[in-house]
Amino acid sequence: MEIFEVALTFLQIGLISLGGGWSTVGIIRNAVVPRWIDEKGFRELIAIAQSTPGPVALNAATMIGWYHGGWLSAIIATLSVVTIPVLFVTIVLLLSRRFTLASSRLNQTLKTTSLAMMLMTGWVLRPTTLDPILLSYALITFWVSAFTKINPLWAILGAGVVNIFVRYLR
Amino acid sequence: MKKLLFKKKKDQGTPSQGLLPIEAVPDISPQDRGSTSSTKKIPPQSPVTPWKLFLLFAQITTVTLGGGYVIVPVMGGALEKKGWMGEERFYDIFARAQLFPGPFALSTALLVGAELCGFWGAFAAFWAVLLPPFVVIVGVSKLLLTYQEVPQVQAFLQGAGAVVPGVIAAMIWKNLKRFPWRIHRLIALGSLTVLLILLPAYSIYLLLGALPLLYWWEGLWKSSK
Repeated sequence: MEIFEVALTFLQIGLISLGGGWSTVGIIRNAVVPRWIDEKGFRELIAIAQSTPGPVALNAATMIGWYHGGWLSAIIATLSVVTIPVLFVTIVLLLSRRFTLASSRLNQTLKTTSLAMMLMTGWVLRPTTLDPILLSYALITFWVSAFTKINPLWAILGAGVVNIFVRYLR
Repeated sequence: MKKLLFKKKKDQGTPSQGLLPIEAVPDISPQDRGSTSSTKKIPPQSPVTPWKLFLLFAQITTVTLGGGYVIVPVMGGALEKKGWMGEERFYDIFARAQLFPGPFALSTALLVGAELCGFWGAFAAFWAVLLPPFVVIVGVSKLLLTYQEVPQVQAFLQGAGAVVPGVIAAMIWKNLKRFPWRIHRLIALGSLTVLLILLPAYSIYLLLGALPLLYWWEGLWKSSK
């Protein structure tokens, strides 16, 4: 049944979701595009996941589940993506008397891996449009998020609102 | 329980070693942390219970937009204000939480919950992180699905979707700048990235294979010096 496919997919995503939401987004995209959502839909979904409360990867899982099959899928996807992380935390809490997780070697391994995941995310979600207005939104957002302390959320919402007017002016 | 769980604090590495000490939020940089550290001791205003912890975390995850890097500093501030946990201890836990898979806002909340009230604290933290975003997301999704034919909604989504490459590029930029570059790491990073891009269908297996390999690779270069 499809619901098991949803559960299995998000269990696997949860297992390797290292280093914050944006590293994981590329993995999620590879797992669900074009099976459950198309490329354009996925980008819109990520923009919404970033501008609603909660961790991005978790929100993306909930939304994909919801679009795919309503309440049940949304609940299954959300719980599946956190199952393995929660197990990890539990096991480490129970074992942490005996050994310690943090070493600079492990830390560096995770850093390298998550940066590679992030680079892959950047590649799969690279701009696909040649529309100069849409490209300018991405460029301005890059500048705002890289060189100012403004929450990128405002760039996302701002671009959305500006685009409503731009469309009427054209 | 909590004594057993967090005995090894000294071995956990310094907070600044956190996995990605990177992004937009200035509050989690080490300098800021130093100034607000546990030197000021606020007496507990009221003892912490799992239910109170749930309410506090649920409030935070309901109103903080923008993901983990926004949630975590707000959590730390609120816990200190309540007198439940000093900021320094909180950022120790945060550094540790980044080593786990999964959203680190969730792992941080779980570890904090476990430390403050044992199992039921972690249980409360879990639902506080999951429930509010879930309700909001389903609500927003429902609205969007209902009004997806409206041209304004379509234009909004088109604009919002177009900025996603910019957000990711900025995240990559910041991480590249702070990455501790060595030639062997460049080789590892380059090959893993290329493999991930070339074989998107196998990304999960690639990563599972890459983790032990990279760990070995990193050790090889450390020992040869």
